[in-house]
Amino acid sequence: MQVFGPNELLADVLKKDLCIGCGACTEICPYFKSYKGRTSMLFSCTRQEGRCHAHCPKAEVDLDELSSFMFGKAYEGSPLGSYQSVVISKAGPEMIPGNFQSGGTVSALMTHALMERQIDAAVLTDWKGLIPVPELITEPGDVTRFASSKYVTAPTVSMFNKSKQLGYKRVGIVGTPCQLTAIAKIRTNPLDREDFEDTAGLTVGLFCTWTLDARDLLKYLSARIDVEKIKKLDIPPPPAEVLTVTTVDDEIELPLSEIRPMIPRACSVCPDMTAEWADVSVGGLEGSPGWNTLIIRTQKGAELISKAEASGFLVTDKMPKESFEHLSMAAGNKKARAFRQAMEDGCLNNKDDGHAALRVSPTILKEMNIESGEDNVGDT
Amino acid sequence: MSAILKGKKGDQRLFMGNEAIARGALEAGVNVVAGYPGTPSSEIIESLSRVAKDRDIYVEWSVNEKVAAEVAAAGSLAGLRSMCTMKMNGVHVASDFLLHLALTGTRGGMVIVACDDPNAHSSQNEAEMRHFAQMLEIPLLEPGSFQDAKDLIKWAFELSEELRSIVFIRGTTRLSHASGQVVLDELPETERKAAFRHDGFILDQMTGSVISLPIAFKHPQLQEKLQKAAERYEGCPFNSYTGPENPDVLIITSSACTFYSIEAVHMLDLQNRAGILKLTTTWPLPKRLIKKHLQTAGQILVVEEVLPFMEENLKVLAYEIASEIGIKPILGKRDGTLPSHGEMRPDVVAGALAGITGTSVDQRSEEYEKKVNERVFFGAPARDLTFCPGCPHRASLWSIENVLQMDNRQGFVCGDVGCYTMGLSPSNFGTLKTAHSMGSGTGLASGFGKLDRFGMEQPVLSVCGDSTFFHTGIPALVNAVHHGSNMIMVVLDNSGTAMTGFQPHPGIEKNAMGDVAKSIDIAKVCEAIGAKVRVEDPFEVEATQEALFQLLEEEGAKVLVLKQVCALSPEKKWSKKFEMSVDTELCIGEECGCNRLCTRIFRCPGLVWDQESKTARIDSILCTGCGVCASICPANAIRKTPLAANGKEVA
Repeated sequence: MQVFGPNELLADVLKKDLCIGCGACTEICPYFKSYKGRTSMLFSCTRQEGRCHAHCPKAEVDLDELSSFMFGKAYEGSPLGSYQSVVISKAGPEMIPGNFQSGGTVSALMTHALMERQIDAAVLTDWKGLIPVPELITEPGDVTRFASSKYVTAPTVSMFNKSKQLGYKRVGIVGTPCQLTAIAKIRTNPLDREDFEDTAGLTVGLFCTWTLDARDLLKYLSARIDVEKIKKLDIPPPPAEVLTVTTVDDEIELPLSEIRPMIPRACSVCPDMTAEWADVSVGGLEGSPGWNTLIIRTQKGAELISKAEASGFLVTDKMPKESFEHLSMAAGNKKARAFRQAMEDGCLNNKDDGHAALRVSPTILKEMNIESGEDNVGDT
Repeated sequence: MSAILKGKKGDQRLFMGNEAIARGALEAGVNVVAGYPGTPSSEIIESLSRVAKDRDIYVEWSVNEKVAAEVAAAGSLAGLRSMCTMKMNGVHVASDFLLHLALTGTRGGMVIVACDDPNAHSSQNEAEMRHFAQMLEIPLLEPGSFQDAKDLIKWAFELSEELRSIVFIRGTTRLSHASGQVVLDELPETERKAAFRHDGFILDQMTGSVISLPIAFKHPQLQEKLQKAAERYEGCPFNSYTGPENPDVLIITSSACTFYSIEAVHMLDLQNRAGILKLTTTWPLPKRLIKKHLQTAGQILVVEEVLPFMEENLKVLAYEIASEIGIKPILGKRDGTLPSHGEMRPDVVAGALAGITGTSVDQRSEEYEKKVNERVFFGAPARDLTFCPGCPHRASLWSIENVLQMDNRQGFVCGDVGCYTMGLSPSNFGTLKTAHSMGSGTGLASGFGKLDRFGMEQPVLSVCGDSTFFHTGIPALVNAVHHGSNMIMVVLDNSGTAMTGFQPHPGIEKNAMGDVAKSIDIAKVCEAIGAKVRVEDPFEVEATQEALFQLLEEEGAKVLVLKQVCALSPEKKWSKKFEMSVDTELCIGEECGCNRLCTRIFRCPGLVWDQESKTARIDSILCTGCGVCASICPANAIRKTPLAANGKEVA
């Protein structure tokens, strides 16, 4: 993967509004910092190569290289990425109950991994007054505190960087596709550092169609409700077209037409809906609020799932064919839209005309009918 | 004994121009002196404050120049001799009061010494004060030698008492700050008693109520005084002419330009062709004296700083007498013979003079010029304007810059006048985005903080020094609080008027004469005004940033007082709180993760980049042991060891 320095990161990502605020460039140096869901460059840095750029999920992401690192093969461009199996799941009877978004699969897996000492710490994302705050926990009992979707940009990767400095060797992380793209880039030791250690013990991805700018959402919601009272955000499947906000004393619905303008530009060039660079990826299951969709990708992921099942932390079942098709179509659409947008924006497979946000094999683009711009992919 | 008291009548002493002025005030029997510090004027009061007890005079550093003028005027109205000092900007501050004082007139002699700073060596503009004399219609004097600087004060007091009017004396940087030989006169015993008479007829300037009205009476009276001044100027012993009887070129000059003119004539060896009229009485011009000299000359070159003030008045006069003496070519700034900006220099005057006389200045050889340029521009190490080691401003601006950048809403800081103005420079983080007159940063912030209704979402801050807070910061804060402006005023309280030399201000428990004075608590003033106030130590970087982040969340006008004594203050100098060191094993230097943050960005001169080891190190001579760099090192490589007050390590 091509690695440049902070000035390229500033020019290609921050100034082009492609920063998603994942925090991958923070907590590694004094120049990039995350505050209230946004990343800023504080002072100029003159380095030609830096981890800030190397870690960024919006700068020179070579999908072939990531795929070959994670799965030992080239990127295929399939809607759901590489996987071993897709099932549905929910927290099992041994799991501590919690305020789960859907089936509680993520909480159950992290609790189990911490209990079994498969990981010695977990990076999870909480929020304080709607501003996302990543935290590092070591106690299995703390996991459920972080349950429920946040729907906002979060510097989760910053805490992973910090966990490394604190000396944790096997860290579990729950993150969105962009955050896990950053984690995967970090794991490839992009700067070939001799002292490099891969400290990612377990990566759990969350399905994501898009996210919202934390500050914009806070501003929007503050004008309408007491944000301190918010318990849960949810975007029910179509045709609802609303954001449901559950507060301590009420549940209100806000039209998605007012919410969509808060989607960061960075999401429009994200080809990943199902967190393809994770050990396992988890999302909701259409029509079954108590269940999750679970994509098992790596051997490590598969082993964790079977252990969690065996110990009663997780229950799995067969994925209904129709749900699988819906998921694939949605994921495929997002991918095609993203590649097309990246091409339009001039940040796909750049050669001499600047730096790319994404690099993907031209063959795949051709298969997806993207070169011609005549693909028939519709909006979901 | 203070230097300006030493010596008896007839002794020759080396005085800085400002010391000469101070000595002159003592020889004139001054009773009351008030001013506000400002380069190049500060040493006048500095010198007088040290001898206040010996000479039984009252000296104060006032809160600002307007109040200083008022305090001095009170002395005059009570029948005493009073003097007021300030830099040129101060005249603008004081001018509202002076406009009235000119009309009411004075009783005891009152002299205002205002010092201009051509080239803005220590200012943010090079505006001059001479035009105020014209605008206020009061007499102006410009000393053209160090001896004159002393002797003119007494003459000015006598003139003031004769006219019962304020008299302006103008200094410039070179006259104020250079030194020369001065012959002393006696120091008189003053017997004046203070009493303010207000029982007389209202139109009697000496006994009635003091008011500038009725204008129909007071304005003509003021103009009569000016006429009288012009008459007295005809015989002023401080005007002098040197040169041939009928010079080809008559140089008319004043102030420090007198030196440059003399030098230029010598450089060109034009003693037989060029004459110099050193004019001390530059407003109003003495008509007969001018006529006498214009008559004798072929052409005239006016040499002055900065604007063609004297030149224009001379031209008006020359027009009025043209029928008698003919039309004389008067060269100067208006025709471009000399520049009307920047400081005058002997070589500039010589260049102009050479052009007029058809002579030439000995030019330096090209080779010499080349060598000089190499040495100056390429040989000397690059040095930025930067804060001293251990300067609290560096720590304060560091925190402000970090917070504003992290906040990421294009927040900005409005500055004003003080060492912290250097925060505009990129080498000091470039945190400040505006700088105007004293207190103006807070006024601007008060305005910016009301623009949210027009879509402005940027956080607005101002910085203001402690002395500036009292000078003109308070009204701006009152305005911001009253109008609910969304802004944060950061008071950079380094416990003194540091930039001009630690003059006390109302926040200090000591006055100019060294007596105990009631100090006024800045935070309490701000609270009383109604602002939310936080007080932090800027050396506590984390707490300072936390406070800023919190204040950014609050609505309305807020104040953050960042209190830490200036590193150069007499009380702090030579005392280190910490012994600093760099753990070179931990220092990651240029590597990813630091890239020399301390020596490349933070840039305290106490931190040095060691080219060989590729690590930072501490210059233990320059380091003041403030400990701030330890808080900013990303690798925790900078260590601080607490030291006891005696400089020994704490056990």
